[in-house]
Amino acid sequence: MSNRNEVVIRGVGSSSYGRFPDRRVESLAWEAILEAMQDAGADAGEIEAVFVGSVFGPPGVATRTLRGIGIGGVPVLTIEAACASGTAAFHEACEAVALGRYSNVLVFGVEHLSSLFTSGAIVPEASDGEGRAGLPLPGLYALQAQRYLDQFGARPEQFAEVAVKNKRNGTRNPRAQLKGHAPTLDEVMSARMIAEPLTFLQCCPVSDGAAAIVVGRPRGAKGEVKVLASALASGGLWDHRSTDFWGEAPVRRAAQAVYAKTGLKASDVDVFEVHDSFTIGEILTLESLGLCEVGEGAALAPSGHTQFDGPQPVNPSGGLLSRGHPLGATGTAQVAEIVWQLRGTAGERQVKKATLGMVETMGGGAAGMEGNASVVGLMTLR
Amino acid sequence: MSTGASPNKRRAGEAMGGGFVADPRPQVQADQVLGVRCAACGYPSAPAAPWCPVCQSREQKPASFGPGGTVWSSTLVQIPVGRWKPPYAIAYVDLDEGPRVLAHLASPAIVKAGTRVRIVGADEGGDLLVRVA
Repeated sequence: MSNRNEVVIRGVGSSSYGRFPDRRVESLAWEAILEAMQDAGADAGEIEAVFVGSVFGPPGVATRTLRGIGIGGVPVLTIEAACASGTAAFHEACEAVALGRYSNVLVFGVEHLSSLFTSGAIVPEASDGEGRAGLPLPGLYALQAQRYLDQFGARPEQFAEVAVKNKRNGTRNPRAQLKGHAPTLDEVMSARMIAEPLTFLQCCPVSDGAAAIVVGRPRGAKGEVKVLASALASGGLWDHRSTDFWGEAPVRRAAQAVYAKTGLKASDVDVFEVHDSFTIGEILTLESLGLCEVGEGAALAPSGHTQFDGPQPVNPSGGLLSRGHPLGATGTAQVAEIVWQLRGTAGERQVKKATLGMVETMGGGAAGMEGNASVVGLMTLR
Repeated sequence: MSTGASPNKRRAGEAMGGGFVADPRPQVQADQVLGVRCAACGYPSAPAAPWCPVCQSREQKPASFGPGGTVWSSTLVQIPVGRWKPPYAIAYVDLDEGPRVLAHLASPAIVKAGTRVRIVGADEGGDLLVRVA
């Protein structure tokens, strides 16, 4: 596709992640944007459009954030695709640059959940059939996990190994919400049960945070990361005819689009940041990305394959399980981590080989559908 | 979970102290789930869809599904969610010749995929209740 422009990530930044009830939501976004703009060496005047990912807003948060940083008069769009909102905004920014609509786009994701949900799981929407019937998000993932146990004879300990891996990685991430302690397998297994077989330590925390990305045409600056391809796929019907687990199909669709555009495959990728809001999610995602066959994903963490020092490390940042899950910010945070990994600036979290990096986010939570959207992106240092 | 969630936080519904929210769940009547079946391709929908989501035919005939069904998966929830007190078991159930629905299990225990269940009816809050057949 020779008439498409090359797209690079010029800079990234993020806030820390955690519960910050005293922080204004805008201040989290400012922290991320300032770092990303400085990293990119970009001026406010260069930004031709702003794409924002946020689920719970608050409404108008994009424009209110911009008030503080002198960007105005340009198109500002807020995109909601559940947990994939930030990566959906990133993908649309990449497409806009590739197609010549803009030369520089500021992307940020922002969420302030501590001022919405005081404790426990996110309150389900009463306007959604499954939320109204009392299905919390961990319950939706637990249903997939139980089916997985029944169908493949997997063991719950294999799910828990994902939490052990990602929380160990998270201890090396100074911005992570849960960075203090790497639990043992016994601690993960014996933690309070949320929805069987998922224990408390297999569920991501409720978080506040923001991350930002400057996407644009290449300028030949050091540290520019080339976006080889990105794709967004929504869900179709998930019903009595489906042979898939819930949520797999959008991820597979987006991944296949990325592989088709690049001629690359999952086994070529050196480092992944994927959606592990619950441990089973990472397993189903890696199967959907084509890292292994369906039913084999539970073995990837226990075998060492996806460990920090394994051949294909997954979630060196600690993933959502450690970093936290400020919904709209998560996708942009994943992109920031992959950029740092590809540049070799990830500090203690730096994986051995980081030539090709992949980001995947999955947004769920719509009764009867395979999901809201999944975004997959593949990047390399330019 | 904050059961005293204030109504301005989200559309939590009346069960959570919020405002009235129109019911998005499939309607349950005795041991049947009410919905529609596409006259053209036979696709079952509950609740009713404006047209067939598979073949787009506008001809949707009222239909009822149940009482038999097969569990696709189930879990035991151990946290309070709205009016539901732990432990409570929920399952995806493929109703015979019908749609996949989310149901509460009458006994709070996990049942294996493939287990046959039968609709008991709607519980006091309007949720679909099934028991092992």
